[in-house]
Amino acid sequence: MLSIENLRVVYHDVISILNGISLKAAGGEISVIIGANGAGKTTLLRAISGMLEMFDGDIIEGDIKVGDFSLKGLDSTDIIKKFGLTYVMEDRPVFWYLTIEENLAAAAYSRWDKTVKADMEKVFDYFPVLDKLRQQKAGYTSGGEQQMLAIGMSLMTQPKILLFDEPSLGLAPLITEELFRIIERLNREGLTVVLVEQNAHAALQIGHRGCVLETGRVVLEGPAAALLENEDVREFYLGAGAKERKSYQDAKRYKRRKRWL
Amino acid sequence: MTDLIQTVGAGLLIGCVYGLLGLGIVIIFRASEAFNFAIGEFLVVGSFLFYLFFFDLHLPFLLALPLGLLAAGALGALIERLSIKPLLGRSPLSMTIITLGLASVLRSSVQLIFGAHSYSFFLDLPDISLESENLLFPSERVWAGLLSVVAFGFILFFLFRTRWGVAIRATSENQAKAMAFGIDARFILLLVWALSSMCIAMAGVMISNFGALSYLTGIAGLRAIPVVLIGGMDSIGGALIGGLIVGLCEALVGSYIEPWGLVGFKDVAPYLLLLIVLFIRPYGLFGTVKIERV
Repeated sequence: MLSIENLRVVYHDVISILNGISLKAAGGEISVIIGANGAGKTTLLRAISGMLEMFDGDIIEGDIKVGDFSLKGLDSTDIIKKFGLTYVMEDRPVFWYLTIEENLAAAAYSRWDKTVKADMEKVFDYFPVLDKLRQQKAGYTSGGEQQMLAIGMSLMTQPKILLFDEPSLGLAPLITEELFRIIERLNREGLTVVLVEQNAHAALQIGHRGCVLETGRVVLEGPAAALLENEDVREFYLGAGAKERKSYQDAKRYKRRKRWL
Repeated sequence: MTDLIQTVGAGLLIGCVYGLLGLGIVIIFRASEAFNFAIGEFLVVGSFLFYLFFFDLHLPFLLALPLGLLAAGALGALIERLSIKPLLGRSPLSMTIITLGLASVLRSSVQLIFGAHSYSFFLDLPDISLESENLLFPSERVWAGLLSVVAFGFILFFLFRTRWGVAIRATSENQAKAMAFGIDARFILLLVWALSSMCIAMAGVMISNFGALSYLTGIAGLRAIPVVLIGGMDSIGGALIGGLIVGLCEALVGSYIEPWGLVGFKDVAPYLLLLIVLFIRPYGLFGTVKIERV
């Protein structure tokens, strides 16, 4: 459904972040993207959602397609309207000085239909926590509530495809678990999800497919279950590679070279 | 005592106009963190646009005013498209500096088109001067205060009760987040500039009505600087309060300190007040207290 072909992205015309990425996210699945800091995960999502221009980035090669339609050159508002593809930015993209209700209304700005109010109630059904905070300024709510609000806001755009950028950033494990259950539920109800995560273990458990990004390239991809078992992924991203516990005393900085480099 | 009431009243009336001017600066500052130094020129251009409709085309006031304001809004939007939009996502400082250049361009254009002489400007509005034995508030001042407050109310309604208002406030907080949720930040910026130039044009018409209109009327626009700095650069209510404070300060100084021989001191006094306010509250009286989560 969503396919990326040999995508190259540079920032400020000089800093090359994505060096030819090819990926496919099948409709109705959760595709997980993991990778170290600076691997290009966020840039990839920005490129897909038409947000690169805001950050002075450019696609210099390759293409992004939903079905047969190219997203290249469209900006985020068009992409949301035409393809129902919404990007939930990292670090809880809510408007701090607006109330929860106003936040949801702002996210529905691109819509003109009469069902906005009904959709808002649906969001409050999804997230009962928010119901009690309707008139509260979003800046004064907790991190978990803000992330739920951000997801609620993305639902207000009537998405078919949701891109999540590290929804678990800075949240307690229990909240993270709840968030992931919500994402799973959204996916069961028909949404295609692309999930970028540092919390690789949790993400791969709910994901259908996964891929590993490193210095702007896809170095490994496959079914999520297979990635969970992959020796390299286990060692470098899940922190569970070594067969026996080693003393830190004789730990070397690099025990083993990653095979794909 | 009546003297004091007269002075305070006059100060508050003109203060409302200053508040409207300040609002014009504040909404742009909130949306793009740029300071519009071309405010004086926007004021003159807006007034001239109204002049065209009212005095040259002889339209009735109730038709000429909305038309003039719409024209001013359209011009503001055009200016934004040409000079500000290409800078979206860049440093607000470059936008601020662009407005300095804009000021020169607009001022010269006005001089080129309308000449450097004064145009007599008299709105034939119904006489609503407030008069008692010792007090007199002239009709045009009362109208100025009244219409400014009404215009202020309109803007507040627009910002807090309409979908565009919510979108403007969202974009003002963070352009990237707004874009990610499908709010067209470029259009919002256009809207903000249009709204701001309408505010400024409205204030301009009121100010021109006190005397005559020429390209030098724009100097009154400089009053907006102490207004927004005292009130807080990003506070809408602060603009009104700041306007009232500056108006009061000017009037009081004008009638109590200037007679000592300090002619022209009333133009300086707001800046002195500004200094004092900034010493105590660097963000202005009502500048945003950043939300801090604990």
